Amino acid sequence: MAQTDIERLYDEHAQAVFAFLLNFTRHEADTRDLLQELFVKLARRPELLGGVRDERAFLLRLAHNLALDLIRRRGTREKYHGQLAGEPAPIFTLAAEPDEGAFREALAAALGDIPAEQRAVVHLKLWEGLTFEQIAELLAIPLNTAASRYRYGLDKLRERLRPLYDEIK
Amino acid sequence: MNPDELEKRLERQPLRQVPSAWRDQILSAARQASRSEHAPRTTHHVGSRPSLLSTLHHQLSTLLWPHPVAWAGLAAVWVVILGVNLTTRDAAPLVARHSSPLSPQVFMAFQAQEQLLNELLGPPEASVADRPKPPLSQPRSEGRREMVMV
Repeated sequence: MAQTDIERLYDEHAQAVFAFLLNFTRHEADTRDLLQELFVKLARRPELLGGVRDERAFLLRLAHNLALDLIRRRGTREKYHGQLAGEPAPIFTLAAEPDEGAFREALAAALGDIPAEQRAVVHLKLWEGLTFEQIAELLAIPLNTAASRYRYGLDKLRERLRPLYDEIK
Repeated sequence: MNPDELEKRLERQPLRQVPSAWRDQILSAARQASRSEHAPRTTHHVGSRPSLLSTLHHQLSTLLWPHPVAWAGLAAVWVVILGVNLTTRDAAPLVARHSSPLSPQVFMAFQAQEQLLNELLGPPEASVADRPKPPLSQPRSEGRREMVMV
C-alpha cells in the first residue's frame, strides 16, 4: 500500500476508530496500541482493503476484532496475575460548564458500567450514526441482537443518568 | 425522561479527539512494517504468496487461540496416552525376547531329566485305547433271570 493511502486512511478514519476503541477498552494505552496495530496490519496487508465498499465500517470491524483479541489475552493474564485495570480514560472532551462536565463524567461512568458488547452497539448507534443493520454486519451479530443490546444499554444509561438529567434539565 | 430526548442529548456529547502526536508515531510504525514486509519478499521469494509454513502457522493460531488452555490440556492428555501406549507396547516383546531362546545347557538338563523319568517309570504301558473293553453290562432283568435259574 502506498504511503499516501495509509495517511489518507488515518486522516479520514483514525478519529472515529480512536473514539470507538477508547469507549470499548476504556484504556488510553490500549487504544493507542490497538490503533497502531490496525494501521500496521493494513500497511503489511494492503490486500485486506481490496473490494471494501465502506472503509469506515471495515476499519471499525477490524478494530473491534483486535480489541476482542486483546480483551481475551488480558482476561487470561489477569486471571493468573490478578492485575486490575487502571483508571478509565476520559472519553469526552472537557466541558466549560460545570453542569455539563458533571453530566459527561456521569455518562462516561455509566458507559463503563454496561457490558462491552452493549457499549459497542450504543457507541456505533449514537456516535457513528449507524443503523442496526450496519451495526449487526459490523459486529457480526444478528439484527435483533444488535437492537436488543442497544435497548438494554440505553435503559441502563437512562437509569443511571435520570437523577442528574432531571436536575440539570 | 423522554427516550428521544436522552438519545439526542447523548449524541451531542463531543468525543475526545485522537492525540495529534500519535499520527506521526503510528504512521511511522506502519511505514516501517510495510518496508520490512516487502523487503524480504523481493530478495528471497519470487512470488508474493505466503509460504506453506506461515499459512499453516496462521491457520493453527486462528484455530487454537480462542481456548489455548483447553487445547494444551487436550495435547497433554494425548501425550500421556501415547506414552502409556509406547510403554506397554515395548514391554510385551521384551518378555517374549527373554523367554524364547533356550540355552544348550537348559536343553541338555531337560533331556537328562526326561531320560531319568523314563528309566524310573519303565516302558510305557499299553494305551487305554488298546486295552480290551469290558463286556457290556447286561440289563438288570437278564441278571435276575440268571439268579432264578441258579
